[in-house]
Amino acid sequence: MLSDAPLNDHQLTLGLMPLNDAAPFVVAEQLGFFRDEGLAVTLKWQPSWAALRDDLQTGVLQGAQMLALMPLTSTLGLDGRATPIISAMTLNLGGNAITLSRSLMATLAEEEHVLDSPLAIACALGEHVRRRRQRGEAPLRLASVHPFSSHRYLLRYWLAAGGIDPDSQIDMRAVAPPLMAAQLASGILDGFCVGEPWNSLASVQGMGQVVAGSHDIWRFGQEKVLGVREDWAEQHPVAHQALIRSLLKACAWLDRPDNRQQAAAWLHDEGLPEVPMSVIARGLADVDVEQSVENFQQSNAGWTIFHRYAANFPWRSHTRWYVSQMQRWGHLHGISEHDLAETLTRCVRPDLYRIAARGLGMVVPASDERSEGNHPAPWWLSGEAGQIPMPEDGFIDGAVFE
Amino acid sequence: MPVTVLIVDVRSERSAALEQALLSAGFEVALRVDEHEDLHALVEQHQPDAVIIDADLPSRDTLEHLGQLGRRYPKPMIMLASEDAPDLVRQAAGAGVSAYVVDHVMPAMVRTMVEVAITSFEAHRALKGELHRTQTTLIQRRSVDRAKALVMEARGLGEDAAYQYLRKTAMNRRLALHELADELLKATRRADSGRSGGGRP
Repeated sequence: MLSDAPLNDHQLTLGLMPLNDAAPFVVAEQLGFFRDEGLAVTLKWQPSWAALRDDLQTGVLQGAQMLALMPLTSTLGLDGRATPIISAMTLNLGGNAITLSRSLMATLAEEEHVLDSPLAIACALGEHVRRRRQRGEAPLRLASVHPFSSHRYLLRYWLAAGGIDPDSQIDMRAVAPPLMAAQLASGILDGFCVGEPWNSLASVQGMGQVVAGSHDIWRFGQEKVLGVREDWAEQHPVAHQALIRSLLKACAWLDRPDNRQQAAAWLHDEGLPEVPMSVIARGLADVDVEQSVENFQQSNAGWTIFHRYAANFPWRSHTRWYVSQMQRWGHLHGISEHDLAETLTRCVRPDLYRIAARGLGMVVPASDERSEGNHPAPWWLSGEAGQIPMPEDGFIDGAVFE
Repeated sequence: MPVTVLIVDVRSERSAALEQALLSAGFEVALRVDEHEDLHALVEQHQPDAVIIDADLPSRDTLEHLGQLGRRYPKPMIMLASEDAPDLVRQAAGAGVSAYVVDHVMPAMVRTMVEVAITSFEAHRALKGELHRTQTTLIQRRSVDRAKALVMEARGLGEDAAYQYLRKTAMNRRLALHELADELLKATRRADSGRSGGGRP
């Protein structure tokens, strides 16, 4: 039962990864949003997604920044020990990019391909992959992060849009975010898909060139979510609501003009000391009113949206899109449609989001699902009490998802 | 055949001691590697029977991915937790796939540690396989039952006659009974959605 009794220093340990999109947690801590809600939060930085998952599953953590698919794959028992995890909030849209090594880009240029858009580069890479094969050379080595990650499916989507079969034509690997840039530099990898600041770092260090971002592949698609253990949420519904409200305030703060620089400084101090502040700030930059979205996206592939465009709403259809990609590549073998649908309903909780967002006077979407790829221009989404401005959406291959 | 173990650790003193202990316990140590080597290639090349890794290393994500790639993997993973975390160790050990042990491993314990990890991993995998087979059988039986009900209704047959009809048709078409059932159910669904129009142009 939700009671109105205020919380008094409710102890909570939350997990997060050294990534720019851990910002909502750091901001909520720095600005006292957790404390204002009666929560005494300890943030625990994690070395790998596997470690974060284990800590959540074994009860060391009550909640965490998670990859969008993790609540579902943990509940289904595909990832670690079968543990029900729910998500009532999306933390951000976008934030990843694909980076290819300088030498691979130089080769593509020598082969005289057209390289003027993310799709054109994917097609050029497809041509290059076929030439390599004819010459009997080893396949290119491309990495994404943890197996059940958005990065894995974004990278595969981009490759497929360029006519590449990732399973037969590419040596696909998983590498944790902090190791990516170093492995590109030492030639272990030819490219990767990872969250910021790791693309900006590879780019600033001159080792890689960013060729596509999340929004180039799936425009304004879901990235990280807040995940909590289902049993914890059931035992502590008031604390769960307080947690969502704190992070919602942090996300809204992050999308206000001029706050990103401060967030970058906090991120650097708290969780990313090895990455220069300027590199974090570069990856965390936000479009301003003077710029067109199109131009901004071109030079800021890892562009991250924390709040506007109904970013925090946990669309069931967003998880369904990832599920459709898992099915496309045969990663959901042996699980029935029925079990999938039931688990998805259990794990993705817009109902709990609505309670928290209404409490803060925010306009919330009226529906749990939306279609994507059929809004070529900005549009208005019907909310429960008013309209929400939404951006254009779409996929790199022109697909529509209903 | 000796059991080969891969050690992934950045603390060279600890991993050297571990290697010594493993060797004297009769294991073969494939390699000691740190973060900066190509772990993916090394695991594929050496195919160790078990991996011992510092739980705090980012490389765990790479090992998890290798664990999902094919039949040669997954391999049991033994985690060295750097702090004394008895709760974590106890709970994670129940997970079967990865065993957590605390940092200071006594040489005398090493053999047991690796053997227990491999045994519990194999047991866990066998159990998972069994579960998968049972689930598959159940799903197949369910679709045969539903197809039978369809045939009973469509052809006005009794239960036995409907079953015999399905069996005969399956045999004639060289299909397994459940494959034929799936096909029938799919065809019916298509016909149904065709009739109702689905509300979409």
